[in-house]
Amino acid sequence: MPEVTYREAVRDALSRALREDEGVFLMGEDIAEMGGSMAVTQGLLEEFGAKRIRNTPISEMAIVGTAIGAAMQGMRPIVEIMYEDFLTLSMEQLVNQAAKHRTMSGGQLKVPLTIRTQGGAGWSPGAQHAQQLEAWFVHVPGLKVVFASTPEDVRGLLWTAIHDDNPVVFFEHRTLYPVKGEVPDELEPIPLGKARIHREGTDVTVIATGRLVHEALQAAEEAEKDGISVEVVDPRTLLPLDEEAIVASVRKTTRCVTAHEAVTRAGFGAELAAIVQHGAFDWLDAPIERVGARFAPLPFAPVMEQWVVPHAADVLDAVRRTVARA
Amino acid sequence: MAVEVKLPRLGQGMEAGTIVRWLKSEGDAVAKGEPLYELDTDKVTQEVEADADGVLLKIMISDGEVDVGTTVGVIGAEGEDVSGLGDGNGASPQPPAAETSAAKDEPSGAPAEATAPVEAAAPAPPAAGGERVKASPLARRIARERGLDLSSIAGTGPEGRVIAEDVERAADGAPAAPPAPAVAAPAPPAPPGEVEVVELTSVRRTIARRLTEAWEAPVFQLSVTVDASELSATRERMVGLMREGEVKPTVNDVLTRLTAAALMRHRAVNAHFVEGRIHRWPGANIGIAVATPNGLVVPVIRGAERSSVQEIAAVRADLVARARDGKLQLADLEDGTFTISNLGMYGIEQFVAVLNPPQVAILAVGSIEDRPRVEGGELVVSPTMSMTLTCDHRAIDGSEGAEFLRDLKALVESPALAL
Repeated sequence: MPEVTYREAVRDALSRALREDEGVFLMGEDIAEMGGSMAVTQGLLEEFGAKRIRNTPISEMAIVGTAIGAAMQGMRPIVEIMYEDFLTLSMEQLVNQAAKHRTMSGGQLKVPLTIRTQGGAGWSPGAQHAQQLEAWFVHVPGLKVVFASTPEDVRGLLWTAIHDDNPVVFFEHRTLYPVKGEVPDELEPIPLGKARIHREGTDVTVIATGRLVHEALQAAEEAEKDGISVEVVDPRTLLPLDEEAIVASVRKTTRCVTAHEAVTRAGFGAELAAIVQHGAFDWLDAPIERVGARFAPLPFAPVMEQWVVPHAADVLDAVRRTVARA
Repeated sequence: MAVEVKLPRLGQGMEAGTIVRWLKSEGDAVAKGEPLYELDTDKVTQEVEADADGVLLKIMISDGEVDVGTTVGVIGAEGEDVSGLGDGNGASPQPPAAETSAAKDEPSGAPAEATAPVEAAAPAPPAAGGERVKASPLARRIARERGLDLSSIAGTGPEGRVIAEDVERAADGAPAAPPAPAVAAPAPPAPPGEVEVVELTSVRRTIARRLTEAWEAPVFQLSVTVDASELSATRERMVGLMREGEVKPTVNDVLTRLTAAALMRHRAVNAHFVEGRIHRWPGANIGIAVATPNGLVVPVIRGAERSSVQEIAAVRADLVARARDGKLQLADLEDGTFTISNLGMYGIEQFVAVLNPPQVAILAVGSIEDRPRVEGGELVVSPTMSMTLTCDHRAIDGSEGAEFLRDLKALVESPALAL
């Protein structure tokens, strides 16, 4: 199996979808000649031409609104929102239009729209270019929400998102683009709503998303030296959510830590904790621990930025708390 | 992963049920939706379906009365270890910790490992009496299943919390088998041969409880005698017009339809009396008292005011057949707004029915007999039927009951008025 980067894996899914279906096209800021601000769409203009790889004006609301119209007309638009912070500008279109048309029209309309976006700290982008806002979208019925953490997952999930008949908000993480991983030659679509168990363990389950999957795996290595066996589960899609796999894992390990880069308060980990306490109440041997960013706008100063967002060490601390003795 | 089979709550107010028998044995493959066991609730006996695919790995409780939510079995993959699941919730109650330690203090005889002290050298003292014990949900569950008293277990978790490991340790140290209760009562004298003692089935028990409750309601009865000529004639004409495959309507089916019409004109009678309030129902859901081998049940014909006699007959035939086979579902018995009890087929001429709470009225119908009547000063003989309405006076006044019965009599004597 060839090793490719997360960035190449995204591009591969896009290229294949563009090749396979004339109805698929890309819209976004600087995605054509420049190849996107994260270089994900590099080379696509040359292969597919300006009609299908479309630069847009700087208006997220207009981009998403246009794409919704195209989707309702039977196309499969893929929108790139340069930073997920900018998704806030398209909320009206996404929340009140894209998410609602299918049910409000009694199923007469479909919105097969994919919105790719990226975010995340770790390179001093400051307070307005690095947030993790995935939880906002999990709160909206009618949307689907994906957050992939590995090259194989990002390719298989993006393929499925593009071919889903509902609007999918697809989160990528800025610091994962150069991460390499083995990816099969043949693209295997990954169904939405299926978690992945990255590592099996018996003492505590860490449910992690995005960058924190990698931090959790690192923490698990460390914990093993202390004789603590950590299971790492990545839900991969936040909506729909594989509650069954999550609850089953915690029932097995009897302890649970949630981990994401987004701020802890009202973050996705809160939803996970609620699901776990309900589904595995009689199996829990310790309070559920949540790992996330401190409740602060992200500082620009690198040292302070690193202090605000969570790392493997924070996950490890949480793991230790769950197995703690007095 | 193994799934625990828990006793479901099949209807409002259901707290427990009695497992009659399992339809699958341990080791059998089961598919989701397949009948797993027969459950006797206080209303019906029904089959409970499996809610997972797999193999029935273990039957925890093979029969008897069980609380809702109790694990009665486990479904999982073949060969899966189920030792940690739900075990013990059906086991006989364990003695309290005090008795356990008393048993330990017995001077001799027991093997050394069985008398090992239970957490005698515990690091933290057990919680004092009455104080809330800090314990994880898992620790609580294990303690519950094994009959251990949490307050006697020292916690080693953060803030002295009792965690699963502490309970396991305490359980391992406890005597393997609880001593048999010492107070075995002397066997009761055998009943004399001529008296048969019959245990109440749960249906019978419910009948007893509900009708005793009903007896407390202040009731009054109103009776009328009606000319049943048109009722019988209408039914005869309907039988004559029956199409292939239709159910033959009975006099009671026609009466059900006419009663529904009368109820719609007298909503006060089509009501429930619940917690000091009267609930007047928009439609007539008429319960039909049916005798079964297990006792009386009252399946409900819903929306009788909107149904033709032919439709009522079809529903009634299905309900009665299933009632006799013990195949009624709870849904068949719920939401009745009025009940008809007809003992005409036994030749009972007139009788008084006991209220079927929370309904506020019930109609007792007697047999149709040729009787002499005086009509315009002349003695005539015609088919005659008596109807007696029992009313809950808390909800209905005499005049309201009388008006209903007067209109019902008119409808029975001229069924066309129901149009």
